[in-house]
Amino acid sequence: MSKIARPALIIILSLLILFPVLYAFSASFFTPQDFTAENAKLLPSSFSLHNYSLALSHRYFGRYVLNSLATATMTAFLRTAISIAAAFAFTHLRFKGQKILLPLLLSTLFIPSDALLYENYITIARLSLIDSYLGIVLPSVFSASAMLITIGAYLSTDKDIYDAARIDGCRDYRYILSILIPLTVPSTAAIFIQAFINSFNSYLWPLLVTTRPKMRTVQVGITMLGFAEEGEYGAQFASIIVITVPFLILLAWGRKSIEKALQGRITA
Amino acid sequence: MKENSLKAFLYLAPALLLALLFCFIPLGKAFIGSFLTISQQGRILGFAGLDNYISLFRDQAFLSSVKHTLLFTVLFLPLNTAITLLAAALLKTKRRFTAAAEYIFITPLAFSLSALALIFKEIFRGRVSIINRIFGLSIAWLDESIPAMIVLVILGIFLDFAFDYLLLLSQFRGTDKSIIEAAEIDGASGLTLFFRIELPAIQNMLSAVIFMALKDAIMISAPVMVLTEGGPFRSTETIMYYYYLEAFRSGNRAAGTTIAVLMVLFSILIMSIISRRRRDV
Repeated sequence: MSKIARPALIIILSLLILFPVLYAFSASFFTPQDFTAENAKLLPSSFSLHNYSLALSHRYFGRYVLNSLATATMTAFLRTAISIAAAFAFTHLRFKGQKILLPLLLSTLFIPSDALLYENYITIARLSLIDSYLGIVLPSVFSASAMLITIGAYLSTDKDIYDAARIDGCRDYRYILSILIPLTVPSTAAIFIQAFINSFNSYLWPLLVTTRPKMRTVQVGITMLGFAEEGEYGAQFASIIVITVPFLILLAWGRKSIEKALQGRITA
Repeated sequence: MKENSLKAFLYLAPALLLALLFCFIPLGKAFIGSFLTISQQGRILGFAGLDNYISLFRDQAFLSSVKHTLLFTVLFLPLNTAITLLAAALLKTKRRFTAAAEYIFITPLAFSLSALALIFKEIFRGRVSIINRIFGLSIAWLDESIPAMIVLVILGIFLDFAFDYLLLLSQFRGTDKSIIEAAEIDGASGLTLFFRIELPAIQNMLSAVIFMALKDAIMISAPVMVLTEGGPFRSTETIMYYYYLEAFRSGNRAAGTTIAVLMVLFSILIMSIISRRRRDV
């Protein structure tokens, strides 16, 4: 590729990708008149934090964010713990049924959870978990791909350490907590972050299993804040910016480990 | 060995239990249910044989949802592949300013589906929208069927782009450098080098990405829900959005379970193609 074409293409693509982000940021300062102006605007007519104070003082917005943080943290912790336990069993223990159980669990990768929404909804309703954190979290806790990444990481650890630890009388859970996890920080961090982001950003399932406004997650909530109905579109964008900026920072900080984990998955 | 088996099952119990409860059992229930006649209250009224499948394929609304899904896929798949491949190819070698672009290209990961859909709703809001102003157009984007489908395609690309690009990028960077250097010594350069050497080297990952995007395209529902709600005039109602409407809004269990079974079968087909290709990576 020629010397000019490549940077030019990179810049064009970057602008296209950034446009929705930048537009949302700009729109978060718009006045109601800016939205209805004859000619659509790129920049706000004046600078004011009014929209942000509207968004932050919304009676449910804080609660939505809290619900999302709580469910995303639960999903990330539970999924990481379950993946670690399963991966440990598959890589460090020999047992009957090993050859059947691994393919069985991996076969869930083939089954789209979206097609089972209704059946899962019935299950959650029967367990009376509608409008509860557990109801939002449970169906997505087990992830075969997170387990697969962890198995890949554990396969590359030295088995002699496990044998030595066992001879010294180290229990399995101690070995997992003090040796295995510290040895595999990048992949563990990657599945934790991935689970957190996935859960925080999920929309369809939380929409289905929450009915009370207090239990909604922020992704469902931002479509129901009611700002648009009052003509306060700007506040809607302010709330989008408030929930997105932390993830932009998290991405900048965790980019390297996400890339590494992906590379690990390819070679696994 | 015996003690080991017990211990292993304890470590595996949570994973097995959840897979059973939220994957295998519901799958079995949907499969069996698709051959039964079930009342809205969930009572089994009798064996239906293939009746549910037959009436699904006679349902005009379902058939047009298939048509919309295919249209979406035909538009989405080539565009998404071309753009993600271009992005990964542009950044495959690290240069001075690529770090900034590398970050920019993954920023869509920070946006949730609903946030992005709300932003798109505003960017493409009717004739006075900012997109029309910038490009000097006069299209009522979300109020006409073809433009609404195009907006949906663009939203779909934004949702898939970052992840696909990352997969292709790490594959480009993982390619054995000696092959490329050898080709360079032989005089290959620029586009020849790219299409003859570098692209074939990542073809397995590329086809995996294409099949994953195909699966995403056929299964699309949530973006439809937030962006267009199937409109205008039901022109963006996709198969999975129709499934959602039937199962949750109309209480039409027969259509719900039957679509679920068909989509699971389709997804298994796609995933087995991917995993067969993956094995060669």
